[in-house]
Amino acid sequence: MSKLASNEYYDLVRTTNWTPRYVDEAELFPEMMSGARGIPAEAWETFDEPYKVTYSDYVATQREKDAGAYSVKAALERANYIDSADPGWVSTLQAHYGALAVAEFAAATAEARMARFSRAPGNRNMATFGMLDEMRHGQIQLFFPHEHTKRSRQWDWAHKAMHTNEWAAVAARHMFDDMMFTRDSVSVAIMLTFAFETGFTNMQFLGLAADAAEAGDHTFASLISSIQTDESRHAQQGGPVLKILIENGKKDEAQKMIDVIFWRAWKLFSVLTGPILDYYTPLEHRKQSFKEFMQEWIIGQFERQLNDLGLDLPWYWDEFVRALDETHHGMHMGVWFWRPTVWWNPAAGASPEEREWLESKYPGWNATFGRCWDVITENLQKGREELTLPETLPTICNMCNLPVVGTPGDGWNVKDYQLVHEGRLYHFGSEVDRWCFEQDPARYQGHMSVVDRFLAGEIQPQNLAGALLYMSLNPGEIGVDAHNYAWAGVGKQSHAAE
Amino acid sequence: MSTHSAASEGYRNNRVGPILRAGEVAQAAIQAVEDDNPGKKIHVEDRTAYVRIECEDECILTRASMEEALGRPFQMREIEINLGSFSGQIDTSPDRIRFYLAKHL
Repeated sequence: MSKLASNEYYDLVRTTNWTPRYVDEAELFPEMMSGARGIPAEAWETFDEPYKVTYSDYVATQREKDAGAYSVKAALERANYIDSADPGWVSTLQAHYGALAVAEFAAATAEARMARFSRAPGNRNMATFGMLDEMRHGQIQLFFPHEHTKRSRQWDWAHKAMHTNEWAAVAARHMFDDMMFTRDSVSVAIMLTFAFETGFTNMQFLGLAADAAEAGDHTFASLISSIQTDESRHAQQGGPVLKILIENGKKDEAQKMIDVIFWRAWKLFSVLTGPILDYYTPLEHRKQSFKEFMQEWIIGQFERQLNDLGLDLPWYWDEFVRALDETHHGMHMGVWFWRPTVWWNPAAGASPEEREWLESKYPGWNATFGRCWDVITENLQKGREELTLPETLPTICNMCNLPVVGTPGDGWNVKDYQLVHEGRLYHFGSEVDRWCFEQDPARYQGHMSVVDRFLAGEIQPQNLAGALLYMSLNPGEIGVDAHNYAWAGVGKQSHAAE
Repeated sequence: MSTHSAASEGYRNNRVGPILRAGEVAQAAIQAVEDDNPGKKIHVEDRTAYVRIECEDECILTRASMEEALGRPFQMREIEINLGSFSGQIDTSPDRIRFYLAKHL
């Protein structure tokens, strides 16, 4: 059978622009959705996706990917790996699914916006596959944790989290809404596919897969690394859009979009991936530190790609590199301290051996973050658990919606960066968060952080019980220390033994 | 702090190549990349779940070399099943994939 090679017909069949006769161009491609920015149709038609795939190739490949992931799950399901897994690893899985499964499903709408409204035919074609990819990621990441719902109600948060006002879910939604759901097609290509998927998702879907494989969780390692093979393809929509923007004098605008979303992604990963890699994953299974993975994926690889496409380092590059030694340690301590307000059981990761590892990876950790853990450890050893639980509210950043953190102890530098805008006082965790807000205040100014809502009386009764009710956290879902304080040398053995 | 400046300069490298999920295809690709890029030093980083296979500036991976290394037919599109990520830019075709950087730093 003679068959044309795909490169002999590909360019022709995806050239699907035409001249509309019944409506005008502006009606077919409204600026609000397309975001062509005055760049003419001919320029958009030069979009040449570097990673080409035909529909027949797509379905054949995706079928094989699913067959692989589902067969690994089926083969290992009877081993009941999860029942003997370290509780810190279970928390890793629960945090991952809740933060990402439904958000990925929703990402299909962002891909759909490009599939319909992009001025570039090649982008529309690739986004159609991207849309199908994201449906796969939603479905498969809801199906895999579902078998565990019999084990605890926290597993149900794979589906539930994004439908609640739980604070981490609010923070994640604020970021995803900004990046995926409220932007035109061109911005989505740059911010979601290029910055987020070429860059940051590698941390959570390949970096974490390395730890999963080390931990013997081959089901999860196979699942998330398989997901990333889709991302690796559909992320390639951003590069050609970037090239067209730069060629048409829009480099500054492209750079600003990257700079905003790079920082936002960094903050989100500092609270999700940072604690997982450096504190929840059992010590013996940690392949690299969070910082080392960031150096590998974000600095060594992603920033290099940005540079090759003609962009500059974000203006806050030095601050970003500095924060690699700080932010996620602060986020972790905040999550652990406010543990009743999350849907997983945070692992403290502060046993003597783990602290030694942290000090080796982050010299100075003991003199800073370690001193807070000294106090927590002592309180637990002396039976004063109540002092290790929250009674007050954190200050929440009005950009990332995460706690304002900094270095404690000898390196004290915690600071609330403030801004008064149209009569309202906003708080930010860093100069960069405040800068992101200032780039488009109208976009962000109406949002109330969970603490703003609390202070405004929207959360009743005004105490922890009222906050948990507001966040839909019921008994059996509320986070407790993953190891029942065994790491501090007190308490009974962990939940695994129950 | 010296580690700080070293970290901030970490993007100044010229490594390109595929990052594959660990397994048969990744092992074959190490061999194929060796064959397809004669004279180049190939850096392999095994991180248990994925394998980073990189060389300087440009890295070619052909279908023919994959078939040779695997000892079975292989379509270039099949690489996607295992291509978790890659460094550099990419250019695909039915006979080969090319990873490259437009400019050398």
